Amino acid sequence: MSLRQQTLTKIAQKWDMATITRWGVFALVVAGALVAPLTIFKAPFHQHILIMVLTYGAMATAWNIIGGLGGQPAFGHTVFYGVGAYITGLLFVNWQITPWIGMIAGGIVAVLVSIVIGLPTFRLRGHYFAIATMGTGQILLQVALSAKTITGGPLGLPIKVLPQGLYVFQFHGTKLPYYYIILGLFGLTFLVQYLVQQSRLGYYLRALKESHEAAQSLGINTTYQKLLALGISAFLTALIGGFTCQYLLFVDPVHVFAMSVSAKIMLCTILGGVGSIYGPILGAVLLLTLSEGTRAWLGGQGRGVDLFIYGSLILAVVVLEPFGIVGIYRKLRSRLVRRSKSETA
Amino acid sequence: MKLLETVGLTKKFGGLVACDSVNLHVEEREILGLIGPNGAGKTTLFNCVAGFFPLTSGSIYFNGQDIGRLDAPARAKKGIVKTFQIVQTLRLMTVLENVMVGAFCRTSNVATARQEAEAVLEFAGLVDKRDVLGAALTIADRKQLEVARALATKPKLLLLDEVVAGLNPTEIQVALDMVRRIRDSGITIVMVEHVMEAVMSVSDRLVVLTSGKKICEGTPQEVSCDDGVIKAYLGERYHARSQ
Repeated sequence: MSLRQQTLTKIAQKWDMATITRWGVFALVVAGALVAPLTIFKAPFHQHILIMVLTYGAMATAWNIIGGLGGQPAFGHTVFYGVGAYITGLLFVNWQITPWIGMIAGGIVAVLVSIVIGLPTFRLRGHYFAIATMGTGQILLQVALSAKTITGGPLGLPIKVLPQGLYVFQFHGTKLPYYYIILGLFGLTFLVQYLVQQSRLGYYLRALKESHEAAQSLGINTTYQKLLALGISAFLTALIGGFTCQYLLFVDPVHVFAMSVSAKIMLCTILGGVGSIYGPILGAVLLLTLSEGTRAWLGGQGRGVDLFIYGSLILAVVVLEPFGIVGIYRKLRSRLVRRSKSETA
Repeated sequence: MKLLETVGLTKKFGGLVACDSVNLHVEEREILGLIGPNGAGKTTLFNCVAGFFPLTSGSIYFNGQDIGRLDAPARAKKGIVKTFQIVQTLRLMTVLENVMVGAFCRTSNVATARQEAEAVLEFAGLVDKRDVLGAALTIADRKQLEVARALATKPKLLLLDEVVAGLNPTEIQVALDMVRRIRDSGITIVMVEHVMEAVMSVSDRLVVLTSGKKICEGTPQEVSCDDGVIKAYLGERYHARSQ
């Protein structure tokens, strides 16, 4: 066999039909995401829904690293979201530091907060970590409400409106720049999640999720690995917090430290498929379209109907298919494969 | 050369003394069998050596170094790895992935870990099951996998907790063959076992524990003739010579 033939067969082996299909679908989705707001979703409200989908999709993806892959009950990701929003906002309002740097500063502070939460609780078994994550959110909410001179207290922190531009991270009259920025942030989060899943950390998280003892017996410093995963997750979540601060041009303490944000992040992941890399964004697409959609269509009368609908959805998922949308897809696929096999046989 | 030595190793759970000042040593490249009736403290001893339980008192030396204060992961890095009596198969990971988790102990590179895991699977005779999920394995395979995963961490001292319990005679032979091959590859082994044919045939030396105390130590031949051991197993009443 000549060298050329060899390389050709090598390429053919690497690019079998399944791989080509997978990359083809991936490329289509990316292209679709890039042109969607320019073509079908031109209305600002539709673009707002897309932005919300990506915002929660990114946070759910970040949550999936510690909560899905690592199986840790992180019930308070709103802490990192809020920290990201406040740090970005405060740096900009007080010192005119560009939100781009603010977001990263917020990420770093979020990592520090995650260490404070994780270091004592990851050593313990049971629900201490879950309680600590929830408790920290409540503490920070009270701090934000009371430290009026710094945070503006219950009135929140308005971001001064300036002439638009990339440096000040403000765009008026169009949501398109926000859309592409959050698309980029989601892409970054997704990439990080993929890299974590493929790396040693990913294997370690899956191992310690199933058996703490087995993990430790194989030389895994479980506390350190969980801290690492939580830190990465916290950093990414804080970036999204910083983005939201600029998108709304306002930081509302009750919103950014709300339990409901944490719940939504987790629900997206659970609905889509815990631990799967596509689960969080699939869940976000379904959940956020539903909640934003019902809120708009039902107007003032329908308050809480969105919560009712996705509460029922979650119940259905837990009872019928614990692996969510991804789980349903896998079942359908294996059924199809079986049927095609029995037909050819 | 002593690879492991415990001096006055004591572990109390409240009022219960599970291990009572146990002195024992393990020579390099030997197979030491640890036997004793149920509740003798064998698994507790393993857990103390592997770093899962802190000692109440006493000390543990590994390669002449005091390791009493290291936690389990740190001891695994040093080369002391134990398997579990109740197998801890990672059910949602494939056989290969299970072993890779072990291999990551010595490398952070995924491709290297995969290669090493494949070599270990070859050694353990699990190659044809490499892509099977842990949840789908039989108990015999799970026990093999448990050992394979520990081997992948490249241990110096392997603590095997009842690896042949619950296996049929053919499977026992396969498992024992593997234990011998592991020793031949240069790894020291301590094994807790209730299946006497197994532990007698494979061990170089035996240590007998009863109620947390070491009552006897020697070759399988010596131990099986020891009065104290027979009494401990059969009880005073059924011990023929004491009547």
